[in-house]
Amino acid sequence: MPTLTALQRLRTALRPLSPAPEREGFRQAMSWLHTWAGLVLGWLLFAIFLTGTLSFFRAEFSLWMRPELTGLPTPAPDLAEKVQASLQAHSSEVRQWILTLPDERQAHATLLWRDSLQGRFETLFLHPDTGAVLQPRATLGGDFFYRFHFELRTAQKGRWVQEGRWLVGGATLAMLVALLSGIVTHRRFFKDFFTWRPGKGGQRAWLDAHNVSGVLVLPFYLLITFSGLMIFHTLYLPTGIASTYRTHQGGVDSAAYLAELQGEKPEQSRRAQPSAGLDRPLPTLPLTQVLAQARLAWPEGRVGSLQARRDAQGQPLIEVVRHEGDRLQYRPQRLLFDGLQGHLLQAVDAQGPAVRTYGVLYGLHMARFADTGLRWALFALGLLGSGMIATGLVLWSVKRDAQAQRKPGPRPWGHRLVASLNIATLAGLPLACAALLWANRLLPLDTPGRPDAELGVFFGTWGLGLAWALWQAGRRGWCGLWAANGLAWLGLPLLHLLTSAVGIPAPLGWMSLSMGLVGTLAAALAWRLRSPTTHHHTRHTPPLSTTVEVQP
Amino acid sequence: MKTREPLWAYRLAVGARTLVAVIGGWSLTAACAAALSLGLAQKLPRVEAVLWATQLAWLIYPLAVAWAFWARTLGQATAGVLGPALVLGLLAWLPHRLGA
Repeated sequence: MPTLTALQRLRTALRPLSPAPEREGFRQAMSWLHTWAGLVLGWLLFAIFLTGTLSFFRAEFSLWMRPELTGLPTPAPDLAEKVQASLQAHSSEVRQWILTLPDERQAHATLLWRDSLQGRFETLFLHPDTGAVLQPRATLGGDFFYRFHFELRTAQKGRWVQEGRWLVGGATLAMLVALLSGIVTHRRFFKDFFTWRPGKGGQRAWLDAHNVSGVLVLPFYLLITFSGLMIFHTLYLPTGIASTYRTHQGGVDSAAYLAELQGEKPEQSRRAQPSAGLDRPLPTLPLTQVLAQARLAWPEGRVGSLQARRDAQGQPLIEVVRHEGDRLQYRPQRLLFDGLQGHLLQAVDAQGPAVRTYGVLYGLHMARFADTGLRWALFALGLLGSGMIATGLVLWSVKRDAQAQRKPGPRPWGHRLVASLNIATLAGLPLACAALLWANRLLPLDTPGRPDAELGVFFGTWGLGLAWALWQAGRRGWCGLWAANGLAWLGLPLLHLLTSAVGIPAPLGWMSLSMGLVGTLAAALAWRLRSPTTHHHTRHTPPLSTTVEVQP
Repeated sequence: MKTREPLWAYRLAVGARTLVAVIGGWSLTAACAAALSLGLAQKLPRVEAVLWATQLAWLIYPLAVAWAFWARTLGQATAGVLGPALVLGLLAWLPHRLGA
């Protein structure tokens, strides 16, 4: 430690160039910014990061939460035709539908359809062999984590959706600021990277954990933050569109922008012409013929979904969308077919370097391309990111508690509040997630508004966690919530065995086993925090006095 | 940020700079995206121009926020963020006024 590295010697030599003494340095300013931007939006960011991480397994959560859909056979080759027949028997007023075909992650087919062009889509789950409508329990499934991640969804039917998206956008910008100012603040972390001092306890250990989880996958955080902003650029930053797609009447032709973004020809864009008979129900469509052509066009690829609607001239149109797992760039290629004769009209794909760059960023964020191994790796990166935010939040508290030890008097209310919110968010949110899964299996199937009842349990549990944390803002608060997490998550594999679909022997499955693992870790954490004698705060070295801070 | 002034003055200064950073920073980012899109659209297809400009513009935001908290005085912080925003905003807006 006493030997100066070349870098430090260089810095000492450059000292006369540093700012005047009355002006605080750039690093101090950025450190301040990192601390406060990180603290104020850290709790929200943690929730966004954690639910986003869970969303990598959105399809698997959906399946776990609809056990009625397990054990289905492989799909019939003419499934699309069977679904069309099934839908026509269901309603004669179908204006638009989107059929997602079964794949290796979901054995059933999913159909969204609506009977008016302004109405809500109804979701149907379909048997992969017969196309018959299945009746799983009413739940949002994994879609809740997904929707919460980017719009803080609080109910099945969207409410405060735009407000939620703006809040998430603001938090994402704060994340970008915190990441970049964090590089300046913890600029020594590349050197400190191999420094890991859990034995030192207290503040140093938390700082090391924050640095390691931060620097290890910094490119991933920058990518996920930046792509998150870009995915919603039409909402957060539409000024480029507004200045460039200005019409002569002074309006903005955003439909043309969206069409060009998808690589559609202008005449295919979705500008509705009111008189074109758009509102007639769809006829029977030549799906077999269309699918045969799609398979010829993509010999190596899979068909992901089929969509049917009327185009701007009122003609029925079939879109065949390639499977999202077939490439990194999002969205996938599409083929447009005339819905009467089944002729290929247009192959649609995003063109141009900027559009493709955007597509790759989008694809990396959504991770639809990932196979199981890569999906787990991304999940681990997401957990590490949640851990970085969590350790940063805890570090804020630990640092101030250490400073307060040297001053007499009670803990300031602000410090206490931060400690409570840390407990309520970092331990309370995982508990709420477990409660959601319990509610999913235990609420009676005929509960009116069942999806919202599940969310009621989720937010109710989170609220109780907050109340507990406001009451117990110290070690006991942490211990209590982690113990509850341990019980709740460890119980889930057992619950799965007891409550899976009737008549089918429930395989335990890696989803349930993973939930058990989460419970084991939470229980171990609670056990470690159980008594004051083993807690590392009590053998706290005097803060900062023994650190290796080298300031010339 | 140093606490040499009374606490309320310090808090007021932090609040003002936060406003400059959050609202001013977004205005500068938005103006930059608008002007750069329009400029690039002279050479590139429209959709390409908008996307390059929007992707680059996000990088302006953290710089604007950093400046808002690093500038020596509140005046410099405001001028450094809102000045360029005004100039770029006019650049994006004037062509429509004059051309159409």
